[in-house]
Formats: sequence, C-alpha cells, structure tokens
Amino acid sequence: MNDLPGGHFLLGRPEPGAVTIREALDPELLQIERLAKSFVQREILPVMDRLENQEQGLAQDLLRRAAALGLAGTEVPSAYGGLDLPKLASLLVAESLGPAGGFAVTFGAHQSIGALPLVYFGSEQQRQKYLPRLVSAEWVAAYALTEPESGSDAQAARAQATLQEDGSFLLSGTKMWISNAGFADLFTVFAQVPTAQGPRLSAFLVERSWPGVSTGPEEHKLGIRSSSTRRLILDAVPVPADHLLGQVGQGAKIAFNILNVGRYKLAAGALGATKVALSQAAGYALQRQQFGRPIGRFGLIQEKLAQIATRLFAVESALYRLVGAIDARIVAGVPPIAATEEYAVECSALKVLGSELLDFAVDENLQIHGGYGYSADLPVERAYRDSRINRIFEGTNEINRLLIPGLLLRRAERGTLPLLPALREAQAKLLEPPRPVQDPLGAAAQTIDSIKGLTLLLAGKALQRFGDQLEERQEVLARLADLCMAAYAADAALLRTERLGRPESAVAMTRIYAAEAAAQAGAVAGELAPVLAEGDEARLLQRAGQRLQPLLDLTALRRRVALEVLDRGGPLGFGS
Amino acid sequence: MKILVAVRQVPDAESRLEVSEGNLDLSRASLVLDGMDEYAVEEALLLREAGLEAELIAVAVGAAALEETLRAALAMGLDRARLLVGELADPLAVARAVAEVARDEQADLILTGSQQSDWDSQALGPAIAACLGWPQVSWCHALQLDGGVLRGRHDVEGGSAAFEVALPAVVTTQQGLNEPRYPTLPNIRRSRSKEVRSESIPVTLADGWQLVAQGSAAKARLGQRIAVSDPQEAAAELLSWLEQTAKVRL
Ligand SMILES: Cc1cc2nc3c(=O)[nH]c(=O)nc-3n(C[C@H](O)[C@H](O)[C@H](O)COP(=O)(O)OP(=O)(O)OC[C@H]3O[C@@H](n4cnc5c(N)ncnc54)[C@H](O)[C@@H]3O)c2cc1C
Repeated sequence: MNDLPGGHFLLGRPEPGAVTIREALDPELLQIERLAKSFVQREILPVMDRLENQEQGLAQDLLRRAAALGLAGTEVPSAYGGLDLPKLASLLVAESLGPAGGFAVTFGAHQSIGALPLVYFGSEQQRQKYLPRLVSAEWVAAYALTEPESGSDAQAARAQATLQEDGSFLLSGTKMWISNAGFADLFTVFAQVPTAQGPRLSAFLVERSWPGVSTGPEEHKLGIRSSSTRRLILDAVPVPADHLLGQVGQGAKIAFNILNVGRYKLAAGALGATKVALSQAAGYALQRQQFGRPIGRFGLIQEKLAQIATRLFAVESALYRLVGAIDARIVAGVPPIAATEEYAVECSALKVLGSELLDFAVDENLQIHGGYGYSADLPVERAYRDSRINRIFEGTNEINRLLIPGLLLRRAERGTLPLLPALREAQAKLLEPPRPVQDPLGAAAQTIDSIKGLTLLLAGKALQRFGDQLEERQEVLARLADLCMAAYAADAALLRTERLGRPESAVAMTRIYAAEAAAQAGAVAGELAPVLAEGDEARLLQRAGQRLQPLLDLTALRRRVALEVLDRGGPLGFGS
Repeated sequence: MKILVAVRQVPDAESRLEVSEGNLDLSRASLVLDGMDEYAVEEALLLREAGLEAELIAVAVGAAALEETLRAALAMGLDRARLLVGELADPLAVARAVAEVARDEQADLILTGSQQSDWDSQALGPAIAACLGWPQVSWCHALQLDGGVLRGRHDVEGGSAAFEVALPAVVTTQQGLNEPRYPTLPNIRRSRSKEVRSESIPVTLADGWQLVAQGSAAKARLGQRIAVSDPQEAAAELLSWLEQTAKVRL
C-alpha cells in the first residue's frame, strides 16, 4: 500500500494505512531520535549563549561531537563511513535539532545541503576523498549558490568558471550569505561555465585552502547568530578538472534537487522548535497569574494555544506523510533524488507550512509571555528572532508558493498528472448538493474534498482566463498554492487521525483545521471570483466558496484542545 | 567471564504521567532505560575496556515491551540480552527470575541500579544477592576489578567506605560511578541485530506471598491554586482546602 504519487493530493486520498504517521515509526528510529534529543539537551542548550557569541571553535567542536555519535552520517552510504538510513532518520535528527536555533543551521548546512550534493552527484573518487571526512565532521561543508546580485533568481549567478587548456577551471566570483563560511573546509560552489551554447550553470567542489579562496567578515544578523554567515570570495581559483561535480550544465539540477531535501528538513527543524514554543507557552500560561487567575484560563490565551497545537498537528502529519512516501519509493528502488523530486510540490508546501507555523508559534509564545517574552533574559526572545530566517532561505516563501501551482501545471502539461480532466469535472461536482454526514470526521473529509474541488475549479478558471499569461498572475497563483497546502495538510491530519483510531483531541484538531481551511478557501474564492469571472459566473464562484464553511462551534473545539494542551504542558502526542 | 546487567524500564522524565481511575496509566508514556541502570551498563563496558575478557549480558523481567529497553542497553554496547516475559508483582519475584538467569549463564558479576528511579525501590540488587547467596555491595561509586577481586567505594550510613569483595557478587550502581555513554548511531544499528532471547516465565510470587490487589493509588492534579499573598492566610486556606475539598483527615 502506497501513498499517492507526487502532486496527486488534489485528486484523491490514499487509505489511512498508506501514510506514515509519527506514532508508528520504527523503534530504531525512535532510539535515534532519543539520542539526537539528549545531545541537544545535554550538549547544545547549556552552551547556547557561548554559541550565540560565536566563541571560536565551539560550533565546529559540537559539530564533531554530533558527528562522533553518527548524526552526520544518516544519509551517506556505508561505503563512505555513513549509515544510509531511511530519510525519516535524518528527519528526526533535524526535528530534534530545531530548538537549537543557529546550531541547527550549522548542522543542516553541513550535513544536508553541504554534504548531499556529493552524496548524490559526486564521482566515486570525489566521494571517497571527501565523504568520510564530512561524516566525521573532520571537515565542515557549505553550499554556495546565492550571490550579491542573484538570490531567488539563482540561475542568474555571475560567478564564472572558465575551462583551461589542461581541462581545469579558473573560478571567480562572490557568493553571499554562505552558512558555515567562517570555518567550512569544503564548498559546493555554483558557477557559470562559458560554452559555445552560452553560459551553463555548473557545480564545483572547492577547498578552503586553495589559493584565491577567502571569506568576508561575519554578517550581523537578526537571528541564528550562532550560525556563521559570510561572503565567499573566489578570486581566480584554479579548480582541477576532477572537482567539477556532475557535468557542465548540471548546476541547476544539483542545486534544486538538494533544495528539495533542504526544504522538508527546514520544516522538520521548524516543527521541533514549534513544539518547544508550545511547551513554553503552556507552562507560562499556567504559571502566570493576572486578575486572580492563571492567564491560561482566559479564552484569548486558550485560543492561541489551540491554534498552535492544531497547526502543529496538521504540519507534523503532512511532514511525516511526505517523507514516509519518499522513503517508500526509495525502498521500492527509486533513486533518492528522483524519489524526492517526485514530491517536489509537497516539499515546497512543507517549507512554507513549517516556516509559517514556527513564525506564528514564536510570535504567539512571545505574546503569551508579555513583557517577559520581549526580554532577552528568556529564550523566547531568541526563538522569535531565530525563526524569521526560515521564510527567506531554501527558496523564499514567495518562490515556493509560486512553485506549487507552477510544478502542478507543468506536470499536467507533460501528462504525468491527470489535472486537466479533473479541472473540467470540478464545476459539476461542486454544484452537487453535499451528502449529509453525521460522523464528524466524515464531515471533515467532505469539507476537505470540497476545498480540493474548489481549488481545481479556480485553477481551471484561471487557466481559461489567463492561459500563458497565468505566470504573471502571481497573486492568483499564490492563493491557489495556499489552498493546495491546506488541502494536503488537512488530508494528512485526517488520515493520521483515522490511523490513530480517532482519539478525541485528534478528531477535534482535524475538524478545526479543516474548517479553518474552508474559511480560507471561501475567502480566496470570494477574492478571485471577480478576477477570474464576470457576472453570474463570478457570483457562482463566490457562493461556492461560502458554501464550504461547515457550521461548527470552533470556539468550543479550540477550548477543548487548549485545555488538553495546558494539561499536558505542551503539544498533544498520541503515544510514543 | 560473564557480567549480567539487570535493567528496568521507567517513564521518560519528560513524559507526562496520566491517571485513570485511580491508577497510573503508562500506556501512552514513553518508557526508557532507567538512568540508574545506565550506570550499571556503562560500568560493565568500562570493566571490559579496562582489559577484562567478558561477555556482557543484559537481563530484564516483566512486560514484552522491555525489549526496547534491552535494545537501548545493547546500543550502549552490551553483547546480548535475555528477556523474561511475565507480569511479576514484587521485586523478590523479579530477583528470583534474574537469579535463575545468573545460574543458567554461570555469571560471575551482576550489576544493577541502586534504586529504581520511578518507585524508588532499592530491593532488586540485594534480593538477587540473597537468592544466589552471593555478597552484595550497594550504592557503589567507584569500582575496579583485579583478578577475581572487586575493589571500590560505596555509600554507607553517614559517609562512604572502601570495600573489597571476591566474585561472584552483586554490585548496585549510582550517579558518580561513571558517565554513561551515548548509544551512537552505528551502535543503535548494530543493536537491532543483536540477540534478545525472550522466554515467558510463569507468574510467580515469593513464598508465602499472595496477590490481593495490584495497582497504584494516584490522583490527577486538581489544578487548584491558592491566590493569596499573605502566608498566614494562605496556610489557613490550604488547611481548609485539604479538609473540605481533598477530604484529608487532619
Ligand atoms: C542567514 C542566511 C543564511 C543563508 N545561507 C545560505 C547558504 O548557506 N547558501 C546559499 O547559497 N544561500 C544562503 N542564503 C541565501 C538565501 O537563500 C537567499 O537570501 C534567498 O534565496 C533569497 O535571495 P535574496 O536574499 O537575494 O532575495 P531576493 O531574491 O532579492 O528577494 C527579495 C524579495 O523579492 C521576492 N522575490 C524574488 N523573486 C521573486 C519573484 N519571481 N516573484 C515574486 N517575488 C520575488 C523574494 O521572495 C523576496 O521577498 C542565506 C541567507 C541568509 C539570510
């Protein structure tokens, strides 16, 4: 039994047994998670202040200690000293590291975007040479794509690698905002190789010690201050021919495939940090008294707790669903990069969902802490600052939102996703009167189906209206992306709740999430109706949106969830 | 030689304990290797790393779910494990089961935590020693083995004392004895394929014992808070609350 292929989530829903849920993870994975968590608890959090001050050598030392436990080798084949574990293992490690703020970025830049280009695109000789050193963190890795003049438009990079007569390259350019640049030994550098057909983006393995390689001063940042961020300056660096990664022209392929992995890992880190934020918020809400009672007894505080817990539940469900699906493909023999690319849409969705969940959680956690939250004396303030970067790197949330409908439509054109027939049917389906459903979870499923139907309908109208010009209608595309993300996460929450045997609070959170998604879909339909249609047709679209909204006492459901969050002192888990 | 490490499973310190119908409900708690027993596991590993030729065997008695706890001990580096599945009511019965394994394995040394970190019982180590008729040293915080003789220090009433004891023996461990290592990822991997020999044992009680009832008397937090700043007043309010709401006879 397998989850649906990538991008198919708008068109159907798998059996609950086909999706991975956090509660059904292999015991070995849970042992790995326990290890990673106790490492963060015992080794990282106690020295957070020193890390934030970028104490010389400390981050490298901790990276090496994490590596000595095997944490940097989860995705590296055993031939190079790694463990070649399922992707879920690296996901759990990333989630455990999430609360470590800047150190999580240090670790991710090394283990994930730093080492993975080599793992997936390196030659045998390149892997032999570097991977064992990266697994032990004797050498630290970094990923250098962004430039001062090219960020989101990464393919417009100006760094140049010109082919020399002896087959080597001469590399020049400046890379901007490079994580780990302060101490990395090995950089994956992306640069244009001039060819007869024009410049071709390509990737190179560049050692720090080579002539012409230097870094700028540390950037002063809003958050993740413990993470080193600098410019990488490449001044006529001679790069031997065998340090080209993959082939000339493969740069974009390498860069974007590695980013897919980076995106779901970012979501994992955000999830881990959100759990901490919610625990802090619940703890404080019980302890802080105002007007003669704990503030956790006030409706507006409970609402915040319930909102964080609910979104957390949905995003967690979606993340484990996604990575479980990738692992299932890998087990079936699909190469990891292809298995991940298959789910590129979902990777982008999780990047946005995860980063915005964390931003919401740290913001409301700070709010619940009032003035004390604003003070640098509590870790709440650091978490607030640390969260912000997640909406910017690994592709800004704007870029990732645009990717979602963009990729879906491209697959539809290529015939790998039967979207167009579904678009045609959507209108008829949406006009069918809804079946009355008594069971609350069944009603939530119906709501989610209607959201998907509406999304398809709006997408179809948008295509009709704008055709080739749709790309220029970013506002429309981003709204469609929002509905896609909500539908994927709501489905994941629903499937998980079913698999768990419908525990009461999971049912409550699924209903809340689905209802909130319906409200969002209604608002989107209302806004897009006059953009995509006119007259009666526009009114029809608007009404189709309004009809989605279930008549549900969200306040009561949220209070229920909040009381359980307060009682448990944090996120609602459902068994180990 | 063979060293047996008897381990127990306790709720993770971070996990929340639930109470249902007056009983502690651990069905949703995450259960982990008792921290007190981690010192015993680590000490067995250290003895071997100091040059001793020994096979290191983890043993646990109780629910089938103990397998994961045994695997945690294996992931730290023990060689194999024995799991005796049976719902045993008291530490004496557990001790008898462990003693049986010790005889079967012809073990020379048994290590276990000094005190359970959930119910605080200290009986297991001494009870195993009694079953086997071996000497026992409890609350040990320094240990070395020369020939067949263990030397070390342990806590006694009012201080600490040096000891010397010939094998076979039972030693109970505690904080300060060593720094338990992390189970590394490669070792976690390896532990999955190490042998855990599981057998069920009959539900037995120590002689003369009879099971009348089993359970824990637990009450969920009442979530009450006395919001008074004057200490006298607060004390008075607490008293009346205990009497009237919690029905404590004062
Ligand atoms: C702390 C930190 C660490 C980083 N680490 C690394 C690293 O290790 N390696 C690396 O290569 N890079 C790294 N980056 C760079 C990061 O990936 C880029 O900052 C990011 O891709 C955005 O690029 P930019 O900053 O140039 O913004 P721009 O691309 O200039 O974007 C500015 C704004 O315009 C929006 N925008 C851009 N294009 C479009 C469009 N087509 N449609 C709509 N809106 C658009 C963006 O969403 C954004 O809001 C890091 C950045 C930071 C701040």
